[in-house]
Amino acid sequence: MASRRRMLLKVIILGDSGVGKTSLMNQYVNNKFSNQYKATIGADFLTKEVQIDDRLFTLQIWDTAGQERFQSLGVAFYRGADCCVLVYDVNVTKSFEKLNSWREEFLIQASPSDPENFPFVLLGNKIDVDGGNSRTVSEKKAKAWCASKGNIPYFETSAKEGFNVEAAFECIARNAVKNEPEEDIYLPDTIDVGGAGRQQRSSGCEC
Amino acid sequence: MDPGPNPTPDDKGLAALSLRAPAALPPDFAAVPEIEDEEEEEDDDEGYFTAASRGGSSSTAAWKEEMEGLEEEEEEEDGPPSPSSSGYAGERGSSLASSAAGGAGIEEPDHHDVDAPQPHGPGAEDWARDKKHADEDDASASWRKRKKHFFILSNSGKPIYSRYGDEHKLAGFSATLQAIVSFVENSADHIKFVRAGKHQIVFLVKGPIYLVCISCTEESYEGLRGQLELMYGQMLLILTKSVNRCFEKNPKFDMAPLLGGTDAVFLSLIRAFSWNPATFLHAYTCLPLAQATRRAASAVLQDIADSGVLFALLMCEHKVISLVGAQKATLHPDDILLLANFILSSESFRTSESFSPICLPRYNPMAFLYAYVHFFDENTYLTLLTTRPDAFYDLKDSRARIQDVLLKANVLLEVQRSLHENALRVEDVPVELSSQSTSLPAQSSQGNSQSLSSEMAIGGPAGLWHFIYKSIYLDQYVSSEFASPIRNPKQQKRLYKAYQKFYASMHDKASGPHRTQFRRDEDYVLFCWITQDFELYAAFNPLADKTQAIKICNRVCQWIRDLENEIFVYGESTLAWQYHHCWGDI
Repeated sequence: MASRRRMLLKVIILGDSGVGKTSLMNQYVNNKFSNQYKATIGADFLTKEVQIDDRLFTLQIWDTAGQERFQSLGVAFYRGADCCVLVYDVNVTKSFEKLNSWREEFLIQASPSDPENFPFVLLGNKIDVDGGNSRTVSEKKAKAWCASKGNIPYFETSAKEGFNVEAAFECIARNAVKNEPEEDIYLPDTIDVGGAGRQQRSSGCEC
Repeated sequence: MDPGPNPTPDDKGLAALSLRAPAALPPDFAAVPEIEDEEEEEDDDEGYFTAASRGGSSSTAAWKEEMEGLEEEEEEEDGPPSPSSSGYAGERGSSLASSAAGGAGIEEPDHHDVDAPQPHGPGAEDWARDKKHADEDDASASWRKRKKHFFILSNSGKPIYSRYGDEHKLAGFSATLQAIVSFVENSADHIKFVRAGKHQIVFLVKGPIYLVCISCTEESYEGLRGQLELMYGQMLLILTKSVNRCFEKNPKFDMAPLLGGTDAVFLSLIRAFSWNPATFLHAYTCLPLAQATRRAASAVLQDIADSGVLFALLMCEHKVISLVGAQKATLHPDDILLLANFILSSESFRTSESFSPICLPRYNPMAFLYAYVHFFDENTYLTLLTTRPDAFYDLKDSRARIQDVLLKANVLLEVQRSLHENALRVEDVPVELSSQSTSLPAQSSQGNSQSLSSEMAIGGPAGLWHFIYKSIYLDQYVSSEFASPIRNPKQQKRLYKAYQKFYASMHDKASGPHRTQFRRDEDYVLFCWITQDFELYAAFNPLADKTQAIKICNRVCQWIRDLENEIFVYGESTLAWQYHHCWGDI
């Protein structure tokens, strides 16, 4: 028990269906990419160990389904997340426009204690497609959106080519850690049996 | 007695889960790869089970695999009927069950049970060995073959404890378990268990803490749930319920580090599930001692308790020698079990006198008490519980006084003697009903050991092999030694499992409670008898005669009554009076 224990970070990936959430995760965790599209059903869970500076972390990555019919899973899935990754497809404007509602939905469902400062990271994926010619959302536009939401870090990625994926996830991990409270205060009470004379029940809580 | 394969209580919840279960399993899902027999590790009381689910990519959980199976068929958006249609619901049974059915062709590997569940619990040398198999995760064949898993996780899916494998490597699996629980909760319901072929997955939700047992040991749902309750109690004993506040303040709270170094405690409790009847009887057992000896111990403990100690306990391994509570405080048998398990499984208590915060979950789950623990010898130890965090030196002095008295009265010597000699043996059950023997069994063994019938010569009269007697008023039980036909630890474990099932069926809320039950199978005749005063569980030779067996059970009860002063601990005089008063004729 000498060294500090590894910390576990829960990371939720959100975004419209087909923007490449699963591919990003697969590229990151398994270094694999498949051109074949398979819709995620419900959620996938993967783990990856990362080292940040000299500390080890385990990322527990919750890859959610983009389809609206899975939105009902929300509360349960978002609870206790350390970081939320928003993904859109730079070639599909609608997936960018939906970012607001993904973000808001997350904040409502997860209800983090400090929503203003909850760590999000935005990924603009599929920049490889058609050599960038079919792109409909500019980097500038994306960065402006990030700035308006409290300077969300932004990465342009290609899950297919593995471009920027590692860097993006490192940033995700760092942001998740940054948001951890310095230490959780665990202060149990001592039983008070009512001392001399008093006939109190032991009450336990008196903080 | 077992719940059927499709028990009704949680149908609703499961139907919800099954919405995304495949209507027909793709062949690749159903085919479970052959699993090589691996050397059963020596201590593993539960061994391996046949694979329930195929491990996919690293750390991808079983639930996900079921989904994977579907993905081939399910087109995005305009694919087959939306999962919210009820069309899939009917397939529920097959979908959840088939993950195990797929493995049905595989023989369960023989598991050699080298390590005996020692009747006195795991020894000190036991826990030091690393048995967690930290290299395993849900992708390892060996992990998936384990017969009984225990998990503790938070309601955000962060792993807290796993019996096998490294918790962090199991983060994905842990997330899956949370997803299942939460998914059912989303429909304003809660999940109790899932049965999948030979496997049962039992869930217990305690606020922000989820406990899960995955087992193919054929134990009853009630039994496994009771075990999860004890796991939770053990966690509370170490941390109190104030951990809940950490989750209220911070749902991301990573609780695992708070339990650092306590693996051995949980492991030892899990082992107790298969050898210690206290885990399902909710009663404690005493070390048989001559009345005068016990009285000497109790008197000095009572003195201490009167001077500000909440509870004073003198124990030998898992058996109580004397137990005293201040004023009206009473100690729940489960608290005694969890406390003894905590002390006996933590090596540091043996090496020096210690003072440690502990919580008695049945007494007050919210707050800590402080335990002064001192081992007088290898297995006899004193525990003084106080509310004062600064009481160490006072209690150290108290202990010295107690030790003096115990030595002068020869209590510690008597304890060692009792440990080796005073066991109840079925061979000693007196045949003469008029027997008024009040001496300890060891001393009476010569006179009364003739059997009722010659063909039942092995074991006690009428082929009695073993019994457990629980006094309802005292919350205490006694159990006999095992007769030679069940000397082997594996057989003993099987008998305990049979008792546990028996216990669950006798106390079944739907059909019970029952007064008597007589059951004969190829292994033994089991007889259970419950009155308002006691519960008797007895195992006989499978060929035993029913009338004879019942007669012998009566004699066992009479015998216990004759020995009650040596084998039970009496608390306050009023309680003892009430107890005597309630002794009816049997």
